[in-house]
Amino acid sequence: MSEVINEKISVISFYDRNKGKSWPVKFFWQGRSYKIRQVGYHWPARIGRKLVHIYSVVAENNTSFKLVHDTETLHWILEEVIDEFAT
Amino acid sequence: MNLPLNRNRPAIMHIDLNSCFASAEQQAYPVLRGKPLVIAAYTTPGGCVVAPSVEAKQFGIKTGMTVRDARLLCKDIIVRDPDPQLIRDIHLKFRKVLSDYSPNLTPKSIDELVIDFEGTLSFKRGLVEIGKEMKQRIKKEVGEWISCNIGIATNRFLAKLAASLHKPDGLDIVTDKNLREVYASRTLTDLNGINTRYEARLNACGIFTPLQFLNASLDILKKRVFKSINGYYWYLRLRGWEIDAVEFARKSYGQSYALKEQTDDPKKLIRLLMKLCEKMGRRLRKRNYQAYGIHVALVYTDMTYWHMGRTLQIPLYSTADLYRKAVWIFNRQPQQKKVRDLAVSCFHLESTQPEQLDLFDSEMKNNKNVIKAVDAINDKYGELIVTPALMMGMKNVIIDRIAFGGVSELEDIYLAR
Repeated sequence: MSEVINEKISVISFYDRNKGKSWPVKFFWQGRSYKIRQVGYHWPARIGRKLVHIYSVVAENNTSFKLVHDTETLHWILEEVIDEFAT
Repeated sequence: MNLPLNRNRPAIMHIDLNSCFASAEQQAYPVLRGKPLVIAAYTTPGGCVVAPSVEAKQFGIKTGMTVRDARLLCKDIIVRDPDPQLIRDIHLKFRKVLSDYSPNLTPKSIDELVIDFEGTLSFKRGLVEIGKEMKQRIKKEVGEWISCNIGIATNRFLAKLAASLHKPDGLDIVTDKNLREVYASRTLTDLNGINTRYEARLNACGIFTPLQFLNASLDILKKRVFKSINGYYWYLRLRGWEIDAVEFARKSYGQSYALKEQTDDPKKLIRLLMKLCEKMGRRLRKRNYQAYGIHVALVYTDMTYWHMGRTLQIPLYSTADLYRKAVWIFNRQPQQKKVRDLAVSCFHLESTQPEQLDLFDSEMKNNKNVIKAVDAINDKYGELIVTPALMMGMKNVIIDRIAFGGVSELEDIYLAR
């Protein structure tokens, strides 16, 4: 099943100075914490001149999440959830 | 004329990402990996399958089927919308990896690239070795679920054929040594550029297989089958001589839309036409062009079609100009029937730079300033922030999509980065 969420969430992210990369490692949504096991893909996108970074991640409960980091407002948005029973 | 096969060392490589749209989605969302998945224009039953995953292909699901038919073949099929931004990013990363090997790189579509190695340092290493390295780098630098087919030959046509021999994740080379063997294993429509109509023409002249096509004389191809210079081109192409290394200049801008709700209501169709004109106008203006021609095409639900184009004396620049002329053409339809596809394009392009200055402040100049201001707002805050009133409530209609074989669209992607 997949579902569009579009909710602001709290995120802990990690920045690696050697690789020059940053990625989310844990997020909090609806009173629960989700530890990120894998970043499937990361891609930048533009909405007008605003740059957003999109991360598709897999949490430890084997569910995929699409997280969007707005570089202007610094908000993190949980855009979509896809579980292993996707149809 | 009796031209031999091209016996030169193959220097052309065709690289094709496997099930690109579906693999991209499986790369991004690992829970979808190994599962039958299709990317469809719409996820509704009538939606058209744009790309099936490797797993879905095993159920017999093909591009062009409806979601309904795909579900009949595999009831558990996962159906998802395309994600244009994700696909564009994969294309850019894919292109970046390949550009390390040769400067002569030609994107053929969002998931296909051709590299000419002639005269490059990499050519000395051997293209098979380079091909294997590219596959590894694509997995490492683009994504571990992304695989590609590589074909190597002396021309673009045979390189594409070579890339289609072993799917997925193949690497094949076609030379004068194995050319006949390869042709013997294919049908006429397996050849890129031969559709069912060309096949019928070839059949009518006693040509039923690619080998017979290869053995046909130049006279037969030129005078009986194609009845044009195309016969000569095919004669060269089939023997491995290059004839397709041509880059076409931009001649038009166009937008098309497959209607989600097919209708014959002119009010609804005209609103869609407005949005298509707005998207087309934005692209036209971004590249500093104006157009002296406009064309409207309609495909009806009974699969008949109607189209009309007009060349004009005054240039079209603003969305309003394009829209007014498009509606004028639209209203010339001989009969109103339910429409399934709607397309508009503008042609006879002329650069707006350098701008011809008027002696006096004209209305057109003032309008141009307003259009530039509106475009600047949309550039800053995102597409369709300021739109004509006719487009109210249409934010989620005719959304961003990747064009099939859209080479011309790629220049917009490179421009955006």
